[in-house]
Order: sequence, then structure tokens, then C-alpha cells
Amino acid sequence: MTTLGEDAPKLAADATNAEPVIVVDDVSKRFRLYRERASSLKETITARFGRRASFEDFWALRDVSMSITKGCTYGLIGHNGSGKSTLLRLMAGIHPPTSGTVRTEGRISALLELGAGFHPELSGRENIYLNGSILGLTRREINAVLGEIIEFSGLEDFVDSPVKHYSSGMYVRLGFAIAVHVNPDILMIDEVIAVGDEEFQRRCFDHLYQLRREGVTIVMVSHSAPLMEQMCDEVSWLDHGRLQMTGAASDVVRAYLDHVNAAQNERLAESSDDSGKVPVDSSRRWGSREIEVLGFELRDANGDVLAAARAGDALTIRIRYHAKNPVAQPVFGLGFTTESGVRVAGPNTRFAGVETGLVHGEGHVDYVTDRLALMPGTWHLSVAIVDETMLHTYDHLDQLYQFHVQPGSSPERFGIVDLNGRWHVST
Amino acid sequence: MALATDIWQYRGLIGNLAQRELKARYKRSLLGWAWSLINPAMTLLTYALVFGTFLKVQPPVAGNGHLKNFALYLFAGLVVWNFWLAVINGAMSGLIGAGPMLRKVYFPAECPVIASGLVALTQTLVETAVLLTIMAAFGNVSWTFLFVPVLLALLILFSVGVALVLSLVNVYYRDVQYLVAVGLNVLFYCTPIVYTLDLVENNAPAPVSLFVRANPLTQFVTAMRNSVYDLKAPSAARLGFLFVVSVASALCGWVIFRRFSARVSEEL
Repeated sequence: MTTLGEDAPKLAADATNAEPVIVVDDVSKRFRLYRERASSLKETITARFGRRASFEDFWALRDVSMSITKGCTYGLIGHNGSGKSTLLRLMAGIHPPTSGTVRTEGRISALLELGAGFHPELSGRENIYLNGSILGLTRREINAVLGEIIEFSGLEDFVDSPVKHYSSGMYVRLGFAIAVHVNPDILMIDEVIAVGDEEFQRRCFDHLYQLRREGVTIVMVSHSAPLMEQMCDEVSWLDHGRLQMTGAASDVVRAYLDHVNAAQNERLAESSDDSGKVPVDSSRRWGSREIEVLGFELRDANGDVLAAARAGDALTIRIRYHAKNPVAQPVFGLGFTTESGVRVAGPNTRFAGVETGLVHGEGHVDYVTDRLALMPGTWHLSVAIVDETMLHTYDHLDQLYQFHVQPGSSPERFGIVDLNGRWHVST
Repeated sequence: MALATDIWQYRGLIGNLAQRELKARYKRSLLGWAWSLINPAMTLLTYALVFGTFLKVQPPVAGNGHLKNFALYLFAGLVVWNFWLAVINGAMSGLIGAGPMLRKVYFPAECPVIASGLVALTQTLVETAVLLTIMAAFGNVSWTFLFVPVLLALLILFSVGVALVLSLVNVYYRDVQYLVAVGLNVLFYCTPIVYTLDLVENNAPAPVSLFVRANPLTQFVTAMRNSVYDLKAPSAARLGFLFVVSVASALCGWVIFRRFSARVSEEL
């Protein structure tokens, strides 16, 4: 989706327009969560007209300040419930801040939810007029872009039928088409684009790049780190309503991912005390058991045990075994399978030409890679110990283990493996 | 006020909201727009039958000197009442109905309320046209018809002002719509629509009579009847009272709405 040369206009825009168009100054936002407990009419009446129903204060945002300059593409990142969507709503003027101020300059077009303001009984065309006027356009201004909107949404054949017959994909296409064609100074997008099909998403991103070149300020919310890094100049990271970090997209996204990884490691460490152990007998484990697999461990370059591997980083997978009787030249093998069942790699000691000698008692073998080629995700691990001829199985655990790969130093984003190649551009 | 320009900027939206309401209203109904006439016609017929024929309410003689028709006398009052009723009910459901939008897009929350005023106005314009045509057909025409647009303009200010407050309070306390339904019912019979103002002044105790006369809707109804039935100009005192009440209602309504509508998107 990114093409070479996107960075040039992006930097130019930064240099020429330094004045802020959105200033968020020390903003806090409190929501009241009402608990409906009224069970009788009398209770209802006293709750309604006496003191109000019991509620709990919930601070969605606390002391958040930021300033977004003209022409900047700005990202808000954070986990679910971090307050990023609330902040976007405050910027769009939908909710007032409880304390602090939000100042914006210019026409705002916000695409916060699917089909906001669509009336199901009205046709697509009528809804374009309705939506356009919600965004503050006059009829003449809408007429000027009507054709473009219909064309961009690709709904030429359906534009005169009621939108209640539209699919959710069609909803988002129409909504997005309207939001980007109303000539906004500031465009705000919540995570809605993800609903459209691949082809439409690509067109959305192309169009966003175009708007960015034209100097439109774009504020987007996502918890997708790669998307943020790819699209945004600057990113703010929110956590439980507080601003954690603001800065260049790559720095903030990196910090955010580190935080997410650390949190996941903690969770894994808590829950996975038994993950490296031998699973109980199952239909996916077989063999004569002269040698038994006892478990596996992930270790980093320093030999420290890891809760999860990292893409592109050094990794050692250690297989622990126990041989009751001496066994000569056993072959150790690993199998890496994606969650969807694709066998991606299956290295073993025999193919690698490694002599294992006479094995007796407890011990371990290590599979070492300097640069883990597996992409982030959950991976299933198979472990097998077979005899020299590879015809007799001592112990085979078919996809009985699993481990997580987190984003690490690998720059890749697509696919399931990092091919570890290099690019050469000749001019 | 800066906010006046803000709302003017959203005139397109107000128009579209009104249009949406009108278009969606009779969609998929067999008789469509005919309903907008059938409905008031049936109400008129019922009241005329009950109060004119059964209860024998005597209308005054009309301005042309020989017309004496209770149905027409009633019609002139009902036009005012129907508008008022449509604005209040439309505004309350309109603001609640705009909730999904207000939660997702910013626009002044007045817009749906004003839009419901527009919707009611289209209906009222049709009814007024029918009323004036019938009056003309009976030979009951005069220059006093020119007061009708003035009265309607004041009625818009008055009704929208009240509607702004009621629709806003209704967002915070949904009970208000039920309370209002009861209140409107009482108010209907406290307004000389199905009876004449003389009946109250002659028969009711002084406080009740005062209450009925102080009711702005009584004055609207009377002024309307003056203009289209009696064919005499509404008194300056009456017009002055209506002007003050209407402007005060619109201003107060709007100020209150502005003051308390900021959190409306969260409560909807």
C-alpha cells in the first residue's frame, strides 16, 4: 500500500504549515455510568425525580494535552478502552470535555461509526444530501461532489434504493465516500475502514494519501500498530485515559508494542508454567519412547528463558529429553505450523548433517537461529525424535506445543515468514 | 450571538431533516399524502359532531354577517392547536430520534427541534390554505386574512421556544413525554377551541376564566378567529401580548437549551 516517495510531500507539509489546527489543553472527560436498579414504579419515580439513579464516575480521559499541526496525519493508539475514541469525539465536538479545552480550526468531517446519520428508509442519494448537510454543506456544495461520491463508493446501481437494503460493506463505502468528499480541513476516522473489502480499503488509503498531499489534517484512531506507523506522521499513545507518549510515529508505535509485548509476556508467564512440559498422552503423540521428549524452552541470545519469541531476533529452541537406555544417533526434529495448519518449516538434525552420538539419560538439544524468520502470531510446534533411518519413531508430539511470536526487529509486516532478503535498487 | 450564525450554517441540515421526516412519514402507505388531510378532516368532523350537533355550542355570526357555522369556527382554532401539538410532539421524538446521529457527528442539537417545527409548518400551511379557501367559498373574505402569516410566525416562535425546553428535559427524564401527553390533553380543554371564549367568561368562576384567558394559546386561537372568521383585526393589546410572549418564549427556550444541551449527546 505504501509506495516509494510518500515521504517527500509528508515532510514538505510539516515544514510549511506549523500552526496548530487542533489544540487539546489539559482535557479530562468523565462519563457517568448509570446502574438501572429500579424494580418498582415507586423506586423509578424516586430515582428519577428525587436524587438521580445511582451512578459510577468513569474517567475516560485524564489531563490529556496535545497539539496537532496543519497538514499532519496524526494517530491515536492504545488498547480497547484507552480513551482514544473518546478523545476523537471530543475533538469532533460531539462531547464537551469535563475540564480543559478543545480548540479546532476549520471544517471537520468525522467518520466515527458505520452509517452515522443514514436514514434506512431513504435512498442512498437522499442520504448523501442528508449526510452532507450534517457535515455542514449547502445543497449546491453537495451537488458539486455528488457524482464523485457515487463513483467513489461504487454504488451507481444502488444509489436510488433505500439504504436499509445495503450490506455493511456498502454502508461503509458510502459513508467513507461522503466523509472524504466534503472538502474537509480536518478528517477524523475511527476504525471503520476495516469493514470494507480489500479493494475498497486500498482505495480508501490511496485517497487518504491524496488528501494528505493536499494538506488535509487527518486524525485517525486504531489499535493496529503497523497501520499507524505506515500512515501517520505523529502518534499519541493513550493508556487508561492518560497520555503515555507523543512523538514520531515509529518511536511511539515501537514503545507501544514493547508495552504490549511486556504485558503479554507477563500473562504468558503466569499462565504457562506448564507450557514447556510434556503434554499428557494424546492421539497426537506416538512412538516407542526409548527416548522421551520432556519439554521445550525458548531462550534468547544470552541464554535467558523467554515467554515469547520475537520476529527477527535471535532465538534458541531447546528440546529436553530423557533416554532410559543408550540410543545411538537419534534424529531430533522440529515442525512449525501456523494456526491455520500450514506447515512452514521442519528442520531436523539429520538433514543438517549433525551427529548426535550416543544418547543416554537426561539432556537437551538446541535449535539456534540468529534471526527468527517466523512472523508475529501464534505458532504450533511439533517435536519428534526418530531413529537414524527415520523409519522408527521414538517420540513424536504433533503440534502439541504452541508459542507466541511478537513483533521484534523484523521490518516485515505481511505474510507468515520473513525471507530475510535484501533489496538492491539500480538507478 | 455567534450561535445564530452557527445554526444558520446548518440550515441545509434543518431542511434535510425536515424533508427526511416528511418523506419517511407516508412512505409505504397506500394513500400517502392524502393522510395529512384525512387525519385533521376526521378530527374536525368528530368535534363538529360532538360539540356542534350534540352539545349545541353556538358559534358567533361570522364577519360577512350571515355565515354561522360551528365547523368552520372550530377549524380556525384547530389549525392553531394542530400546529402547536405537532411541534411539541415532533420536537420530543425528533431529538430522541436524532440521538444516534448526535452521538457520532457534531451538529447543533437545536437542528432536529427546529426541523420538527418545519415539518409541522408544512402541514399547517396546507390546513390554512384549505381553511382560507373554504372561508372564501362561503364569501367570508377580508383584508384581515393578512394577519394570518403574522400570527403563524409568532406561533412558530412560541411553540419552538416551548418545544426546545420540553424536548431537552425529555432527554434527561423520559417521563416528560408522558407528563406532556397528559398536560396537552388538559390544555386542549383549557383553550377555547371546541367552545367559545364567551362561554368561559360568562359561566366559569373568575380564576378559571383568568387562567383560560392568560393561556397564550387562547389568545392565538382568538386572534386567528378574529382574522379569518370574524373578519376583524385582532386588538392591539392581544397582538402585543402575543408578540411579547412569543419572543420571550423563543429567547428563553433557546438560552435554556444552549445552557443544558452540551451533554445531550451523552444522555441520548
